[in-house]
Amino acid sequence: MSLKRLTVRSVIASAAAAAMVATVVSVGAAAPASAAPVTGGTLYFYTHSEQFPNIDPQRNYTGRDIAFFNSYVYRNLVSYKPVAGSAGSSLVGDLATNTGVPSNSAKDWTFTLRSGITWEDGSAITCADVKYGISRTFATEAYTEGPTYAIAMFKIAKLADGSSAYKGPYVKTGQDLYDKAVVCSKDGKTITFHLNRTVGDFNYAMTYPSFSPVKKSKDTGDKYDMRPFSDGPYKIQKYKINDEMILVRNAKWNKASDPFRTPYPDQIIVKFGMDEDVRDMITMKDSIPNGINMDGLQPANNIAFFENPKNASRRANVYDPYTSYLAANNSAGHLDCLDVRKAIFFAFDNQSLINLSGGSTYYGQPGDSPVKPVLGLDYAPTTGNIHDAAWKIEGNAVEAKKYLEKAKVSCPDAYARATDPAQGISYVRTDTATSKKVAVIVKAAMDAAGIVVKFDYVPSGSYNGQLENYAKKYDLIGSGWGADWANASTVIPELWGEGCCNYTSNKDTAAYPAFIKKVNLALVELDRNKQAKMWKELAQYGMDQYWYIRTVFSKTQETWGSKVGGVFYWEPQGNFGFGALYVKP
Amino acid sequence: MSKFLEVKNLSVSFPTEDGVVLAANDISYSVDLGETLAIVGESGSGKSVTNLAVMGLHNPQRTQITGQAFINLESGPVDVISAPTEVVRRMRGKTMSMIFQDPMSALHPYYSVGDQIAEAWGLYNSGSKRDGFARAKEMLDLVGIPDVDKRVNEFPHQFSGGMRQRVMIAMALVNNPSLLIADEPTTALDVTVQSQILQLLGGLQKEFNMAIILITHDLGVVAEVADRVCVMYGGRIVENASIDETFYNPLQPYTVGLLNSIPRVDKLGSHRLSAIPGQPPSLINLPRGCAFEPRCQFASSVAGNLCKTTNPNLDEKSTDHFARCHLSTTQLHQLLAKNESGAK
Amino acid sequence: MKGCDRLLKYISRRLLYTLVLMLIVSIAIYFIFDWLPIDPARLNCTKQCTPDIIEANRHRLGLDVSVMEQWWRFIQGLFHGRVYTQGAECPAPSFGYSFNRHECVTGILAEAFPITLSLALGAFIMWLSLGISLGVIAAKNKGKFLDKASSVFVLVGTSLPTFISGILIVLFVVLKFNIVNPLELGDWHNPFIDPVGWLKTFFFPCATLALAYAATYTRFTRSNVIETSSEDFIRTARAKGLSEKVILRKHTLRAALAPIVTIAGLDFAGLLGGAIITEGIFGLSGLGRLSVKAVTETYDLPIILSTTLLASAFVVVMNLIVDIAYAFIDPRVRQS
Repeated sequence: MSLKRLTVRSVIASAAAAAMVATVVSVGAAAPASAAPVTGGTLYFYTHSEQFPNIDPQRNYTGRDIAFFNSYVYRNLVSYKPVAGSAGSSLVGDLATNTGVPSNSAKDWTFTLRSGITWEDGSAITCADVKYGISRTFATEAYTEGPTYAIAMFKIAKLADGSSAYKGPYVKTGQDLYDKAVVCSKDGKTITFHLNRTVGDFNYAMTYPSFSPVKKSKDTGDKYDMRPFSDGPYKIQKYKINDEMILVRNAKWNKASDPFRTPYPDQIIVKFGMDEDVRDMITMKDSIPNGINMDGLQPANNIAFFENPKNASRRANVYDPYTSYLAANNSAGHLDCLDVRKAIFFAFDNQSLINLSGGSTYYGQPGDSPVKPVLGLDYAPTTGNIHDAAWKIEGNAVEAKKYLEKAKVSCPDAYARATDPAQGISYVRTDTATSKKVAVIVKAAMDAAGIVVKFDYVPSGSYNGQLENYAKKYDLIGSGWGADWANASTVIPELWGEGCCNYTSNKDTAAYPAFIKKVNLALVELDRNKQAKMWKELAQYGMDQYWYIRTVFSKTQETWGSKVGGVFYWEPQGNFGFGALYVKP
Repeated sequence: MSKFLEVKNLSVSFPTEDGVVLAANDISYSVDLGETLAIVGESGSGKSVTNLAVMGLHNPQRTQITGQAFINLESGPVDVISAPTEVVRRMRGKTMSMIFQDPMSALHPYYSVGDQIAEAWGLYNSGSKRDGFARAKEMLDLVGIPDVDKRVNEFPHQFSGGMRQRVMIAMALVNNPSLLIADEPTTALDVTVQSQILQLLGGLQKEFNMAIILITHDLGVVAEVADRVCVMYGGRIVENASIDETFYNPLQPYTVGLLNSIPRVDKLGSHRLSAIPGQPPSLINLPRGCAFEPRCQFASSVAGNLCKTTNPNLDEKSTDHFARCHLSTTQLHQLLAKNESGAK
Repeated sequence: MKGCDRLLKYISRRLLYTLVLMLIVSIAIYFIFDWLPIDPARLNCTKQCTPDIIEANRHRLGLDVSVMEQWWRFIQGLFHGRVYTQGAECPAPSFGYSFNRHECVTGILAEAFPITLSLALGAFIMWLSLGISLGVIAAKNKGKFLDKASSVFVLVGTSLPTFISGILIVLFVVLKFNIVNPLELGDWHNPFIDPVGWLKTFFFPCATLALAYAATYTRFTRSNVIETSSEDFIRTARAKGLSEKVILRKHTLRAALAPIVTIAGLDFAGLLGGAIITEGIFGLSGLGRLSVKAVTETYDLPIILSTTLLASAFVVVMNLIVDIAYAFIDPRVRQS
């Protein structure tokens, strides 16, 4: 199962989620609240990665890096409050004084710019800078890595091929359309966005740095990804791929203009390209006490580290923002039979698969929805699936056979495909050693139930890029998802509706028109509680259809050195609250 | 008055996996300045081994040498077998030199001939590299290599076989040695070239007043140059006599066999070439009796199985003519005469 | 001077042949890359991988034209430089622009090469001196204790892969005894400005590589020395009265080590293409890691192309150098 691990993030917005989240997030205990943060020193991060994938604000779509750069280098109009617990999911004005004012049924959103906000050269950040920065999202000839909410939501016409009529600040085609959609007031104090539909949670989207300003005269195009111009408390002194990044204090950053950033260390250094064994040794031996392992440990080291009580104060085992899933192809000629899908569902040996990935303590537990409990308001345990009395974590071949028997009558064709040794159901996986082990486990479980499964292995590097094609070709396809922000509007439409990543082929089923109608209603519902109820119903529906054969609510482990203080898990960012970190004397 | 080189009771053996190879057994011979001693025998008869021992070229770790080999210098005799290796080393190239059968492989392929000769010269003469090359040119000229100014800088592979052997000779003689051991110097060469080389050696011997030991399996070569002949078989000397005695009065059946295997001008018409039947003996666990007995056509003529049981001594059968055979001179002559008439 | 002329002619002919080979290799890489079931245009777009974004990526990466056109643009870039998208311009000689690293490949190579060269050269010197001296010692003491000890070294060296020996060295030597700060493990220091810093960075990775290679050279040297020692010309040298020391140094080694030039040259050339594992373990940003990342993760065609071209150029040119060197060493080769 391939997760888009670092490219999406999740959010917890609702206080209702707090109680439940507290039971799984253990990091709070790690940092004694009594210790007062200390200013000064050098904070290290070390990672096996050779670079940040993208740090240009309009191209940064990596959960960790959004949290990192948002804490240190660049500011948004609106940010999450960098505190532990559910309060961390509340919005605060950052470059803006407020968290946005919706009007016209939340089709227009207006933000007021703070005064005294400056770039690293001391010049003031203007409304035009914000407007220019956001316009870079449209420059798809140059940048395509970042989120495209602006393209999707702004009131700018779409061309026949689905692309925006506005082509960004370099090509400038359709500049007038953009100027109408994003308007700076005459005094430059407010900026208003005109959207093409009601978006009740547009201000959450604004927490993405793709909505942050760029000074036009400092825009170096593709190379901006190596050296974004800073408006945060640190600026980039050096960034060399495979070597290091050095952040030093931005003298022009004005504490008074920033409502929440707390830049404690004098210097922040990120070391890239560290061998995984060397990296793990540093963590385990605490050889760089003022350093943070940015990657987490390798599985064997991870278990050793977490089972040693000596390390209790410098580790966290938390739910990450992701749900991994195995989608069934619901189109004709594939798994277009509920009974067959259920048979596969019950046959699955989840226990062995989870053990293979590191066990339930560190890897995760079987889930019951595409929406993760950390989404709070929009999550409720579903019925059926893993809550079915017959479901067993290690698989229930007897129950699976029962559904196969049913399928023989209800959909003989699908039954024949699933049981005929010459055909069988097809499962696409990346060509890795782990995949081969997974195949053995899955085959054994399916054999026990009398289901024939055949694996097809594809190059791991192109797997994500080819998901759409694979989803049409194969019966079972795995991936993962995390909500973009604390609303199932960034989950259910994306995974089961018209969004980016619907690999279920549910569009080919008769029930889909009714389903998508409900999805679209929920999207524009402004009453948050009502909306939450709608999402929960839709999640239940999809799970009852067994569009997903299995889901796993995954966990993640974080580790750091003994002299790192102020560690907390920033729930909405699914990462450290980087801004609060300090070096203990 | 003792001769320049006197080898006495020299034995060389090599321990191997299969047992001890007694490659040279109780060898004694001598050669004086201006004299040429030919040592003749089949391959494996011990002729090279003996002389490598004299040169001190055996690996001491893998060879056991007993006996003595005196070189009588003006300063007194030196036993090169018991002398310290450094002493012997400093005699090599200066007092005694050696040339080998295959002049291609015996010359270093990566150094020019001038270089190699100059190196040998430089070992015992102080002088610049230029002096060494001048001396090399002199020597090359001496051994009859034309166009020495050019050829001195050439490499062994640019020379023909005969020319290479001339280079080897030039190198061996560069320090005026008193003893030259030539180990099959003409075997790898064309017949015409062979005699050129032999003539050259003969000429040089006169010029330098050297003792030459010529190791060969070819009695034809021996006839051309030698003063005296040692015939070796199975690691032993079986006959040691002057050249005339050896050719006209061989007193050992093996020598007789060897002589019968070469064409002879003096016996033209009356002589049929014949090879000696059988194989040379293994040098491990030599038979108690005469080593040549299994191949000897006359062995049965000796009474009481003596050839099988007892190894004959190297007796002086006539004046200064030593042979190792149970047959007396008369007996052998009778048998040979019978054979000859039988052949006619 | 006739020989010199001939040599020049020979070298220029070989260089021309190298050039043609490079052209063929470069075309081949373009075709292979096109044929592989990987799509860098999809890799660069994240969640919203819509067709128009993929198309935009393809255009940006220059993959929206025919393979031969892509190749021709590359060739043109070598002479005229190239302009890519906003902010992405590379002056001649341009080996392309890496959209993953936001840098012209020429510059990337220029930074990675000194690292790889340091590693390769340091290792080369180490393994040659270690391998040859051990081999000679073993040969001279054939069958004795030192020979047996060296055969243990050979066994360990050849059977211990660098990914194990490297990790052992870094974890249990370098870090254990705090020889190098783990954060400074792969730091680049210009050897001409900071030789000590350079040594700190490169000694252990060089030693790791040298360990693996030295074993082969020990074995090779030992057998060659033993074999050469029984050559007739060594007997001649001894007959001349040369001391054992001179015989070994001047006669035996000259002949025994000549064949080593060939394998050493090729091993060195291979390393110049990058030592993937060792670079990874010691955090060195050399050509090896550059290319392996481009091949396995980022599908960065300009980097794959350039590193491959570079690696093959090293091999071909080193072959030429070896051949020329061999002509100097072995006069028999000089003739033909």
